[in-house]
Amino acid sequence: MKDFAVFWGCTIQTRFPFIEKSTRLVLDEFKLPHRDIDGFTCCPEKSLINNIDHSLFVLTAARNVALADEHDCDIVSPCTGCVSNLATVKGELKYNPVEKNEVNSLLKEVGREFKGTAKLSHLVPFFHDVVGLQTIKQKMKKSFSGLKIALHYGCHMIRPSHALKNDDPLNPKKFDNIIRALGAESMNFPTKMMCCGQGLDRVDQHDLALFMARVKLKELKSLGADAMVLCCPSCFLQFDNNQYLMEKEGEKLGIPVIYFTELLGLGMGYSAEELGMNQHRSDCAPFIKKWEALLKKPDDEAIIENDLNTAGALG
Amino acid sequence: MLNAHLNFKLLEMCSKCGACFSICPSCVNLPGYDPRIVIKDILAGDWEKWLTSKSIWQCLECHHCLEICFQHYGFENAMTALRTIAAKRGIHPTQVKRGWDMFVKTSKLGDPALPARKKLGLPEPAKSGAEEFKKLYALLKEKKAKSGKTH
Ligand code: SF4
Ligand code: SF4
Repeated sequence: MKDFAVFWGCTIQTRFPFIEKSTRLVLDEFKLPHRDIDGFTCCPEKSLINNIDHSLFVLTAARNVALADEHDCDIVSPCTGCVSNLATVKGELKYNPVEKNEVNSLLKEVGREFKGTAKLSHLVPFFHDVVGLQTIKQKMKKSFSGLKIALHYGCHMIRPSHALKNDDPLNPKKFDNIIRALGAESMNFPTKMMCCGQGLDRVDQHDLALFMARVKLKELKSLGADAMVLCCPSCFLQFDNNQYLMEKEGEKLGIPVIYFTELLGLGMGYSAEELGMNQHRSDCAPFIKKWEALLKKPDDEAIIENDLNTAGALG
Repeated sequence: MLNAHLNFKLLEMCSKCGACFSICPSCVNLPGYDPRIVIKDILAGDWEKWLTSKSIWQCLECHHCLEICFQHYGFENAMTALRTIAAKRGIHPTQVKRGWDMFVKTSKLGDPALPARKKLGLPEPAKSGAEEFKKLYALLKEKKAKSGKTH
């Protein structure tokens, strides 16, 4: 496996350092060849930067990829937005040599060159394709069997597909496969593929952002989901933080929101505190409590085994 | 001006199709959001009025329309083109401007939360590329000024 630089992005390091914590614990525990490299900037965030200056958007992303090119490593990110933005630019430059030359003539002035050799992956498809379901299963000490998990993929994990090419953009499977490998049920629900709506918060439309969060959370509440699991700091902000804001206004939806690496960490035996999950705004305790109760219950296999090996009805 | 950003042939097809409306999260959830009307106005040359509308910022850039579209085009292109023109004229949400300002000044949208990192036992964050970024941005502006390009 090739070394990879983790592209943390602004949101995780600014607002959710506990996500970095669980990601590092998991990467270390799987002994994956990850490293930090100096010099990354914002990816940059498309909705803020691209609308104002496309060429700065391209130049900045190209510079970030160039850093990994120079270190001869790939990039893996726990943020869907970062991967999608970097991949969009990498794809654009691949098919537009004129633009690529323009970008490189500027990068040359600071001693860099965009080659585009670094592979860009989001953490979830990376775990699915590179680490593999079998290895994931082997690392797990505790199963999530009996729990109903509602996945939120995050649009930019899989779209635009011409740049990312990592799963079916309309009917993705990889995140579901991992959740099932952990023993849990990955729920099907009508709004499963619907965008979180966090973008509305960035354009001064907070009430509408709440409205969108509510649509999905209410559905999950009525379907009895034990938790929502996701792997994007923007989606996390939308469902964890905005859910808390609604709760403060008296609207209790009660859906624990769990980051992908937190779920892996729990399965590997770390406690919620060690993973920093006590820093979520919406309470994860109901999920942990139900899970612990399920773990204490002997599973069906053990019951049958026990019946076979002890004196049964026949004496 | 819009010609530079949009493919009118593809938009013509859009005006007859509308297939992505039913899977667009904003169309489904936000009253008044309807790119079909915007596209009709663009084709009729009557799009200026949209520059000041909230609608153009309600496209979530989720790329759902792009993926379902038989032209691999999508409503989003029309919305992005209008946002780009609006932003150039300085008509954008306060937060977009704030994010932009912070980005060009610091190369990031926020600094690592150091006390929280320490508490969690996280290592020193890697060095940012702010200085080099600023140099590059200055070079880019210079180049644009020379060529007379505005974007
Ligand atoms: S990208 Fe915009 S227009 Fe397209 S489906 Fe998403 S919200 Fe709707
Ligand atoms: S973007 Fe594609 S799917 Fe949507 S209306 Fe236009 S042609 Fe149809």
